Amino acid sequence: MQELDDYIDRMENLPPSPRILPPLLQLLNQPDVDSDRVVRLITLDASLTVAVLKLCNNAALGSSVKIDDLGHAVTRLGFQQVYQLVAAICGGRTITPKQAGYGLDAGELWRHSVVAAVAAQAIARDTDVNESTAFTAGLLHDIGKIVLSQALEGRYAAVLEEVETRHRSLLEAEKSLLGVQHAEVGARLLSRWDFPANLVAAVCFHLDPGAAVPHERLAACVYLGNVVSNFMGHGYGHYAYAFHGQADALRILGLDAEALPRYMIRTQERYAEVEALTCLR
Amino acid sequence: MASPSITGFQHKVVVGIADLSVSNNPNVILTTYALGSCLGIVIYDPVAKVGGLLHAMLPDSTIDPAKAAKQPAMFIDTGVPALFRAAYEMRAEKHRVHIYVVGGAQIMDSSGFFNIGRRNYEAVTGIFTRHALQTYAEQVGGMVNRTVYLNLGTGVVSLKISGKNEEVILCRS
Repeated sequence: MQELDDYIDRMENLPPSPRILPPLLQLLNQPDVDSDRVVRLITLDASLTVAVLKLCNNAALGSSVKIDDLGHAVTRLGFQQVYQLVAAICGGRTITPKQAGYGLDAGELWRHSVVAAVAAQAIARDTDVNESTAFTAGLLHDIGKIVLSQALEGRYAAVLEEVETRHRSLLEAEKSLLGVQHAEVGARLLSRWDFPANLVAAVCFHLDPGAAVPHERLAACVYLGNVVSNFMGHGYGHYAYAFHGQADALRILGLDAEALPRYMIRTQERYAEVEALTCLR
Repeated sequence: MASPSITGFQHKVVVGIADLSVSNNPNVILTTYALGSCLGIVIYDPVAKVGGLLHAMLPDSTIDPAKAAKQPAMFIDTGVPALFRAAYEMRAEKHRVHIYVVGGAQIMDSSGFFNIGRRNYEAVTGIFTRHALQTYAEQVGGMVNRTVYLNLGTGVVSLKISGKNEEVILCRS
């Protein structure tokens, strides 16, 4: 833990914290959500409020009726949908810049993350896992790459050697070259930002969901969401596909092998939504 | 850098995931971004100067026949015939077309549960074998994401690998 904190503390240009998301997630998980509290919390951030209203009126995401205040948005679309718009806007602010160390252009990691989030949410819905948490974890699962990108810049050859010659995954290559890897760094960052323990565990073990006990179901949703996004071509940069297949993820959720193609089809059906969420700025 | 043609400006026509496009416009560059485990199937008739590009996602339409009826390009088994039919309508001929296959990325998986890239490739080679067709060139598998271009004016098929800036030529028709 100390090693991760030291690593994060040494970094300049940490991504901005999506600090509204932890309290919102907490509110959302209460049995009787007080809509006024949700609206008050969001409206503290004026630019966020404007962005949410804009998305509410996007044909792919919102309602057919014009929505011009946040209270109306919550009544019309429901908390879950409004929360997801907020999560997408905050996540986009954090994840959009380019990460040269991974060969990622601006917006590529964000597109990968949105597709993973949409897929993870669909899987969560079918397997009785909290959808909003799965969606958020999908959006933020690679946030550690933003922290490590700088350290990997100029070390392309070394990572390539680890991956291609020694057959190591990207995570293993990072660990051997830097002493830390992006999943644990991202999880530590989210924990420092007060995200709930289940989301932190799911991000930490998004490439090894069996190790996320007792949050392995959420982690399995994020793992499969990540696989769907990569398979559908949203694995960008140098080593996006250098990770291990974990059949465990399917077993944990009680899914068969054909689940993966089925979720690829369902995710493709939501591409208009993905488009709207990736063109936020 | 692309050079402007005499008859008009060269432009990209983007083929999305689970979609296909054919053209005989020599100014068009058919393009599909980021194949992942999907397969890009390119055909080009150098005599008729007709070409097509399919970006298929999954091997087998039996998983969702209703979807295949609406969107045949999603699956190899329905997308490949649709691609050839569309090219024949533009006077391409079967014995003349050059076929290229690109994509089908894989992750590090020995379980076989995540081998959609390989299954896509097996599905397409199965169809080609049944119809006595041969591929002209291919670049398939590996842990990389590929973007493919077909220049209808020259018949050149090129590709770009994610994380690398340069475009490389796969084959000249």
